[in-house]
Amino acid sequence: MSDRTTPAETAYDVVWPLGKPAYATRAPVDRVADLSNKVIGETWDYLFRGEEWFPILREELGKRYPGIRFVTYDTFGNLHGPNQRELVARVPALLKEHKVDAVISAIGA
Amino acid sequence: MLRASAVVERCGIPSVSIISTGFLKQASVIAKGLGLPDMAIAEFPGVPMTQSKEELRRQVVELLLPRIIAGLSKPLRLTAPVAEAPIPAPRDIVFSGTLDQVNDYFHEQNWSDGMPVVPPTLDRVEKFLRFTERDPNEVIGVCPPANREATVWNVAVNGVMAGCRPEYMPILLAVTEVICTPEYKVEDAGSTPGWESLITLSGPIVKELGFNAGQGVMRVGRQPNTSIGRFLRMFIRNVAGFTHGPEGADKGSIGQSFLVVLAENEDAIAELGWQPYSVDRGFNAGDNVVTVQSVVAISAPAYSQSERAEEHAALLADVIGERACGYWTAIGMCYANWHPLIILGPSIAKVFAQEGWSKRDICQYFYEHVKIKASRAEYYAYSAGLTGFRIANAVKEGLLPKAFHLSDDPDRLVPVFQRPEWMSIVVAGDAGRNQSRGYVCNHVQGVPTSRKVVLPQNWKSLLAK
Repeated sequence: MSDRTTPAETAYDVVWPLGKPAYATRAPVDRVADLSNKVIGETWDYLFRGEEWFPILREELGKRYPGIRFVTYDTFGNLHGPNQRELVARVPALLKEHKVDAVISAIGA
Repeated sequence: MLRASAVVERCGIPSVSIISTGFLKQASVIAKGLGLPDMAIAEFPGVPMTQSKEELRRQVVELLLPRIIAGLSKPLRLTAPVAEAPIPAPRDIVFSGTLDQVNDYFHEQNWSDGMPVVPPTLDRVEKFLRFTERDPNEVIGVCPPANREATVWNVAVNGVMAGCRPEYMPILLAVTEVICTPEYKVEDAGSTPGWESLITLSGPIVKELGFNAGQGVMRVGRQPNTSIGRFLRMFIRNVAGFTHGPEGADKGSIGQSFLVVLAENEDAIAELGWQPYSVDRGFNAGDNVVTVQSVVAISAPAYSQSERAEEHAALLADVIGERACGYWTAIGMCYANWHPLIILGPSIAKVFAQEGWSKRDICQYFYEHVKIKASRAEYYAYSAGLTGFRIANAVKEGLLPKAFHLSDDPDRLVPVFQRPEWMSIVVAGDAGRNQSRGYVCNHVQGVPTSRKVVLPQNWKSLLAK
């Protein structure tokens, strides 16, 4: 980058424009070593053709892991839709109610 | 959806998040802000909305599935703890240099918007703090997705950088309060539509601080309108974390630039006998009020002519209603929330007022007269990626009014505007011309949210200095 400074220019002492992070970092929980006979929850934002590829995932996972079961996305509702706050808030209770072992969450960011 | 994954992980249950390729950078910022930087991610390759059924299936089976299995069942590779630089205290000097050096440093750090910034020195920040009685260390809120604290202090710092004057500080604080409210959903300010936040300002402070409410109201140029608009975008970058793409967390696919402050022409309003926008928003006439909302698109300039109000209404319903809002209404329907705003030129507002129309009457006209085929709206929604949306289901769930599903005819006409009371009208712009313009909001993201501007007790004497 070229230097644009000219002689005798004033120097400025400047402060930080950001803010303190308000979160504590933690590691994700332990994984499930074998998905056989496990209950998989699906959380979805009803975007990007999930209605097409969630069934493919169920079919393919079913072939590989005997006894695997799914709590499908309609149980949780549209977690990015009009009622997202309410629906996300009830996720813990639904996970418990359906004895979910692991969750596939989709899609986007 | 990483936020949902974080909820799952907090319950002690492992999750894997499917993220399409183009969202990976944004995902890493969100994951870090959620305190879970090592969340399991399964990359969905490419753009699902442009893949054939066959290609989609192949991608899912061959690439996505193994990544999901690995994310749920293999131990995750955890990021080695990095010795991060200590967090500077508010008064710490983080850099010293000439104007150019400061600007180069801020650009390198991603703390700037690409235009030169005013160096935030302690002296300059202190001048801003004189215009508030609040503690500089007060935490106004936390701004997701970076989840950094918004404080009175860093509002002043970013205000300095954006070229604001110290007396704008009460407005900057009110605007920051809005974006810190959960209802505003600033965490979605980097979504692909690339919406911008629009500040509408009402009250005597418009004239007191020399805002432009007239011709060229939405042009860059007048200092308060421009620098406060720039401040908001800069604050959202620096504190909420939406630095620009393609490297940053802002995922606006094409995006748009910051919007200057829309100042209401209260003199024109008073002449018409209409109430100011602040009253529409639930405040008292004479209050200084900011309202912030998202803008995803702007209509063409709508020129309407006639001495009759209904002819103006018909033209505006056509240009602003059908042509500008008719497309994005589909996305508004998906979220059952949508708040378009119309800037009505003073001469047009006068014709309406002379025939006894109120702002509410104009909104009602739009609601009744602007329609779209249900099938077209669903097609627009699907194309934008909202593939799970059906109008009939939304009506069944009570999210949309019954008027949206009076028959099963896919080509039935449904209202473009969900509720007349969700529309806003602000009188501003060129009094010497017959032009109005529509500003299209982005549904639940950036819903209009208002705050009163709180002035310090010694406001008048501070201004006089």
